[in-house]
Amino acid sequence: MFNTVVMTQRVGKQLLKDRRFIGLSLVAPVIILYFLKIFFDSLNSPLFNTTRYVMPVSAFIVHFLTYILCALVLVRERTTQTLTRMFVNGFRRSQIILGYIGAYTLLATVMSLIVLIAVGWMFNLNYDGWRYLGMYLVIWLLAVISIALGILVSNFARTEGQVFPFIPLLILPSVFLSGMLISVDKLPEWAQWVAYVTPLYYANKLVQTLNSSNGSLFDNGGELLALVVYGLIIILLAMLTLRELD
Amino acid sequence: MSSENVAENTDKAIIVEGLRKQYGKIEALKGVNVQVDRGQIYGLLGANGAGKSTLIKILVGSSRPNAGTVQVLGLDPFKQAAALRRQIGYMPQSPALYEDLSARDNITFFGAAHHMPNFKGRVDEVLEFTALSSRQNDSVYGFSGGMKQRVSLACALIHQPQALLLDEPTAGVDPQLKEIFWQHFRELAAQGVTIFISTHLMDEALFCDRLAIMRDGAVLVEDTPKNILRRGHTVVKIWRGDQLDEQVITNYPTELPGVLQKYHFDPTVTRLELEEDTLEKIMLRLISAKENSPEQTAVQEVQHV
Repeated sequence: MFNTVVMTQRVGKQLLKDRRFIGLSLVAPVIILYFLKIFFDSLNSPLFNTTRYVMPVSAFIVHFLTYILCALVLVRERTTQTLTRMFVNGFRRSQIILGYIGAYTLLATVMSLIVLIAVGWMFNLNYDGWRYLGMYLVIWLLAVISIALGILVSNFARTEGQVFPFIPLLILPSVFLSGMLISVDKLPEWAQWVAYVTPLYYANKLVQTLNSSNGSLFDNGGELLALVVYGLIIILLAMLTLRELD
Repeated sequence: MSSENVAENTDKAIIVEGLRKQYGKIEALKGVNVQVDRGQIYGLLGANGAGKSTLIKILVGSSRPNAGTVQVLGLDPFKQAAALRRQIGYMPQSPALYEDLSARDNITFFGAAHHMPNFKGRVDEVLEFTALSSRQNDSVYGFSGGMKQRVSLACALIHQPQALLLDEPTAGVDPQLKEIFWQHFRELAAQGVTIFISTHLMDEALFCDRLAIMRDGAVLVEDTPKNILRRGHTVVKIWRGDQLDEQVITNYPTELPGVLQKYHFDPTVTRLELEEDTLEKIMLRLISAKENSPEQTAVQEVQHV
């Protein structure tokens, strides 16, 4: 536990020192949301239900950004040999992974909050406090899972260049198959199975429940549990796949 | 390795037997045997690609060999990794530091995992030992190569290890700093710390208590630097007016006094010159020797004696 805290502190300190990185990470989702607003406003159709799409797309933006931000971290540690040094100095795989997740979760927590405030303000969403809280929890959970996914991908790459093919491979299926754009029921059966292994599928279901009138997060407890279990599995996989030996 | 052997070799800090390592089709280590006494400074000398870093990585348990046995401080680097890592310090070839953090932050981070009492005081000690106290709060990013190497050394020393495994610690370091590093190593060895150091610099190799010269994943020769130097030739050039004669001496300390005495009293000799092989010349001769050439066979025979 102590080593995990030490690890979180070190990564957190590095993040705080890189003010440009922090600034861009927090401003980028707001800019993308603004473009989304311009796009939705341009549609200007009474048949188009903006509320149906705004929150899932916001969740996707956080998912995408946190995933990308973390996809390079451990490759960098490996190429600079600091990872080897950490192991030789007694850090364990679980401590390294949890330490990274801990530090980046602090960033994701702030990012999720900024996204929620920005989306509510830009799209004049009329949610009550509980529904906002539910939305925040879903986006935050998705962000933590994305951090773990990014770290997991980072484990499979030997060089920074090898990370890039993984980015569309994991993100694009989420866009098309998670139910964010069209209902999963309309997809072929095999594609529905692909949808089930994307975290955005569960997040989208929860967001749609919260979008419906009087919808509560606990109306869809199964999806909430699935999202939590999904996150735990990814974290476990990230720990197991982090190579200690060359 | 059996527990019986461990008991027999408690005076040995490092025991490597028949070590082989393969990266795909490339054989990085071809049956390496090395034994290092506790408190000894043991040097690995060889060109890039000789297998030095691979051997050190195996010793610290970060690369698994394909065959052979390894023991460091009586422990198996893979089966007893946690126990061993508390007792060894490792300095990789590249500085392996977080450049956006300060020297103090780097040392504190790498040392924290060892859970030492009076940790802050210990950080101050290594900062002082490596002459970094005045720059401790500066980002490593702005440091020179030599300063980064010093921070890297401090990270390896923070937990007072019994054995230090240093992969080319003085590469890119200026001569003055190199001297300071070796002063540190000597001090540590005097305190009983075993130092296993790789280098491709001939002058540095001479500072070691014992030396192994590696080429293409194999140890060509293993002895004290003094004995290795004895394998060189000393050419005595004897001038009699314009006439030049040469006499080759293979055992400098025993043969040379007699030869010098002989020509010193020869009235026809007008001038005497000595041309001695350097370790560099000896090593170059060793590494350029072809496989199974008589010279190399002789070296290998000597090694096994």
